[in-house]
Amino acid sequence: MVSKPKNNKTALVIEDERILVRVIETKLEKVGFDVVTARTVDQGLSYIEDVGGIDVIWLDHYLPGEKTGLDFVAKLKSPGSKWAKIPIFLVSNTASDSNVRSYLRLGVSKYCVKAEHRLEEIASDIKSFLDDPRK
Amino acid sequence: MKFHKRITSTSDSIALKLAILAKEKENARRKLVVTAKQLAATAKEKESIRRKLVVTAQELKRLHGTLEKKVLQRTKDLEQIRSKNEAILTSIGDGLVVVDKEGKISYINKSFEEMLGWKTQEIVGKSMVEVVPREDLNGIGVSFKERILTQVLEGQKFVADLTNPFYYVRKDKSRFPASSIVAPVVLNKKIVGAVEVFRDITKEKEIDKAKTEFVSLASHQLRTPLSTVNWYSEMLLTGDVGEVTPEQKKYLEEIYSGNQRMVDLVNTLLDVSRIEMGTFMVEPKPTDIVKLARSVIDEQKLQIDEKKIKFSRSFEDSIPLMRADPKLLRMVIQNLLSNAIKYTPEGGKIGVSISLDNEKNVSLKMSDTGYGIPKNQQDKIFTKLFRADNVIGKDTEGTGLGLYIAKSIVEQAGGKLWFESVENSGTTFYATLPLGEIKKKRGIKAPS
Repeated sequence: MVSKPKNNKTALVIEDERILVRVIETKLEKVGFDVVTARTVDQGLSYIEDVGGIDVIWLDHYLPGEKTGLDFVAKLKSPGSKWAKIPIFLVSNTASDSNVRSYLRLGVSKYCVKAEHRLEEIASDIKSFLDDPRK
Repeated sequence: MKFHKRITSTSDSIALKLAILAKEKENARRKLVVTAKQLAATAKEKESIRRKLVVTAQELKRLHGTLEKKVLQRTKDLEQIRSKNEAILTSIGDGLVVVDKEGKISYINKSFEEMLGWKTQEIVGKSMVEVVPREDLNGIGVSFKERILTQVLEGQKFVADLTNPFYYVRKDKSRFPASSIVAPVVLNKKIVGAVEVFRDITKEKEIDKAKTEFVSLASHQLRTPLSTVNWYSEMLLTGDVGEVTPEQKKYLEEIYSGNQRMVDLVNTLLDVSRIEMGTFMVEPKPTDIVKLARSVIDEQKLQIDEKKIKFSRSFEDSIPLMRADPKLLRMVIQNLLSNAIKYTPEGGKIGVSISLDNEKNVSLKMSDTGYGIPKNQQDKIFTKLFRADNVIGKDTEGTGLGLYIAKSIVEQAGGKLWFESVENSGTTFYATLPLGEIKKKRGIKAPS
């Protein structure tokens, strides 16, 4: 289990490419997050529902299984959801433009293309968003 | 005696008279004989002429018969050639229509009938542009003035293929994508009409779409390994996983920038496939074009300085915010500026200016003193993947996609992009862009 010092925020990374997960995890920890990871939508959802304490979500679009990141967001942001306020960062290389539009409509905080951004940028973006969500 | 004498003299005179009469009679008889002889001769001549006439008539009759036969044969031959020609025209697999110089249909073939649902007797004599509407990709009818057929009747040949596709509308109002070649019909140096050959390109379009989708899919998938290289080399470079030596850092930087180039390339390919699939996400918002241009120039300052290029800029003061997608507008300016830098030799000049055209348009001008575009290739310069001969050897990094993308973006936004160029002396690109609905003063921060 991940140990969680009080002042650290917890990021849930839902991403199926193990090699990317490793580097994302390292970076987020470097900038001060506790990191938990999931490979599928269901794993991610059960983490939130069963374990809790998630402050921010890093989400990929295409994930193993039948559900995509969209299903995850739809569930999390559905009316009456306890977790609707958790900010979600969609970080994907393969989401189509129309999917991206759907994500933004559903209430994703930010979208970026992995290949176009430095990890450093995304990590500090997430951090500053949590510090000041109006940004 | 006297009496006797008198009698004698009387009878003498009678005898004389009689002799005279007899002579006259003889004369008359001779004349009659001559006349009779002459008459006989004339009759003979007449007969001979009559005979000749009969022969001539017979000859004429014979000749006439032959001639008639010949004419019949010729007619038959001509008819056969005509039917054969018509059979060929009719059987051409492509749709064929011939119009007169007023644009009225004078002939259509079977493929035309099959493809468009009209029968010859229904449309011959009618105006082609009216009977068979032509629509662009968005289903908007092409006006009479813009119809190729109209222009061809003024003298030029036109080819509309996959790169310039359109739709023909059938009698039942359904439509199909077509490519066509329209050419004037010239007789004794005068245009007497036009002939158009067209084809249903549904299949080609499907293949083209599959190709575009493949490029899109492949490009998307390429991004994952590219991200891996990106982020891992970034982590090494930032020292997040331990210090690297300055020498190692240089190597890592090369890996990083090489990979970055690949990312850009993949993104360019994705932009092209978006343009072709019509899925370009356009998000217009109040945009400060001058600010955008300044930031693009800053971005490429290094390359400008490296080539010792004399750079000048002139931005009009009162350019209002325009309604445009800043990401896309940025791409246009980036493409034009990077081309100007790439294709201008060291020590050359580049100038950028932005001005207000009128109440409705903003004008962007990008001029260089570079290699220029060869005259005979100027019409191809916006074609996808095309690169002019005079620069292929000088710059190996170009993809031939930048101007294609830039033009697509500008046109999509309702603007125009064109250029003037002289080889070995330089090129100037001009863009006019509509301001759109927003006309707030500059200085108001555009919401990001």
